[in-house]
Amino acid sequence: MSAIAAKPAGGAEMPKGPAAIAIVLLLVVVGIGYYMTMAGFFTMAIFYSLIGIIVGGMLVTFSVHLVPVGGAPAAMGQAPGIATGVTMLAAGAGLAGLFKGAWAAQFGYLPALGTGAIGGALLMALTCMFVNVTYVYGMGIPSASGKVRNDPITGDSQDEYKSQGTEGHGLPFISYVGGVLGGLIGGFGGTLIYISLYDAYVNGLPTLMGGTTESIMPIAVSVAGIFAIGMFLVNAVLTAYNITGTIEGPHDPKFKRFPRAIVASAVASALTGLLALMIIVPMPF
Amino acid sequence: MENIVLSIGVAAFAGALAAVAGAAEDTESNIGSQGDPNSQVQLAPQMGYMHRIFNKAVAGEPPSWALWIALGAGVAWAFMAMNVNPVLAIILGSVLASFVQGVYATTAYLGRTASLAKFGQPVYVDILKSVTPVTTAHAFVAIFATVTICYLMNAVLGHPFPLPILGIIWGIALGAAGSAVGNPYYGKERQYQNQKFGAGVPISASGNIVRYAEAGERSSLDNGWFTAKYAGPASGICFGLIVFFELWRHLIFEHYFGGWGSVIVGGIIVLLITIMARFIEVWARKTYGPYTAPEKKPDEEAA
Repeated sequence: MSAIAAKPAGGAEMPKGPAAIAIVLLLVVVGIGYYMTMAGFFTMAIFYSLIGIIVGGMLVTFSVHLVPVGGAPAAMGQAPGIATGVTMLAAGAGLAGLFKGAWAAQFGYLPALGTGAIGGALLMALTCMFVNVTYVYGMGIPSASGKVRNDPITGDSQDEYKSQGTEGHGLPFISYVGGVLGGLIGGFGGTLIYISLYDAYVNGLPTLMGGTTESIMPIAVSVAGIFAIGMFLVNAVLTAYNITGTIEGPHDPKFKRFPRAIVASAVASALTGLLALMIIVPMPF
Repeated sequence: MENIVLSIGVAAFAGALAAVAGAAEDTESNIGSQGDPNSQVQLAPQMGYMHRIFNKAVAGEPPSWALWIALGAGVAWAFMAMNVNPVLAIILGSVLASFVQGVYATTAYLGRTASLAKFGQPVYVDILKSVTPVTTAHAFVAIFATVTICYLMNAVLGHPFPLPILGIIWGIALGAAGSAVGNPYYGKERQYQNQKFGAGVPISASGNIVRYAEAGERSSLDNGWFTAKYAGPASGICFGLIVFFELWRHLIFEHYFGGWGSVIVGGIIVLLITIMARFIEVWARKTYGPYTAPEKKPDEEAA
């Protein structure tokens, strides 16, 4: 069976049992964080960093659902979307945002979050436009969605622009907008994770290592950057499993699956976030 | 003022280097047959079509480029820490990363092609000898250019991330831009050159890739020659613009409105690109027209 033939078989409903287990796990991990704060291992600011990481991870997960990913069928003009993997494209956008957000952190956290979001959106906007440049000017193929009869934003009809024997091709405007929004939210989420970690490390590492803030700054930036990239990939891969293959964007029926991925992401982000923050806890031995 | 002029110059240079890197990345991935279109190269023998196309999908393009560029950047960083001249350090790092790419390419071709033995697909040693060095050479160009961009960002423009982390970030971005823009051109336009121009490949044709050239069997080097004329430059311009706009809006506008200047300018750029994207979509619909007549609504049929 080809990747195209693999139709989405539901999945929008939230399974009650696993969702309950996930929420219990989330509460346990957040509870451990809160206990460590009360016990004096963490400051309240570090606990807020944990919450920031969880929210950032959930935003990253949501953003990946918006990105139109066509995978291998898109590379043959057999399906709409961008001809690469979900994880990779989202990571590209999110990390471009992270790059810009980290650079702007000196101006304050809010401008950094804003510029990180725009950084992700800029990468996605350019990439999505050039995908259509290749399809239209290189291959003579107009964009057409395989999932809706009319573009929900522009109202353009799609069916008659699908070439014979395909599911559609290129990026119709709704997919383009989904990609840019995905980059925007992913860049914001990735930067939020980075800033949460950076804030915790800048405040926690000088005490732990017995140095000045200036002297530990390169370590804080590097470790926060590496952990932020790792957490971004955790959430993007987790979402790729939820999407299973390709997705056209917010109008794709698979998009409705996002709530269960967000629940899973909250647990994964909480656990990885707690571990990332525990490196600044002084060990008693 | 001098700082701003220097910054703009460095941003423009980094954008130009990124354009070279994007073009080399896409050409490398097409000669080496990496990324999504390689699914057809792998599929063809299973459908009874033996070929002499290189078969190297080490991983998706973004993670594999993240590996190679982070490796190049990391080695260069280590050499620079030993007080080696940065130019020499970047060259040495890029050479080592290219060598690793060559090892991956060799093992990927041998492993993937050997797995098709039950379908009768031979492993051609001459392909390994002729194509692998060409992919590695293109990889070197892309790695060297991108590591240099990362070095400029870190050492000249003052980005806080160390060189290897910048390598991971821009390696993934390079692979994402190159695979997104370049893959359809290689996958549809080159591999399925025998299908109709101006239409997607029908699903029923999957696996029936073009295997013969003007004389003899098609080589992957021919694919690089073909895609270097469109997909390579398009990928290069895409990646070059990403790098340039990210740097430009930071260096010139970051200091306005307490850091919000670059956000505003970035938003305006995204808006302009959106208008261009919509223009391209509408232009294609008007110029090429529909493939079939639009279906009539029931009330129109009744009239």
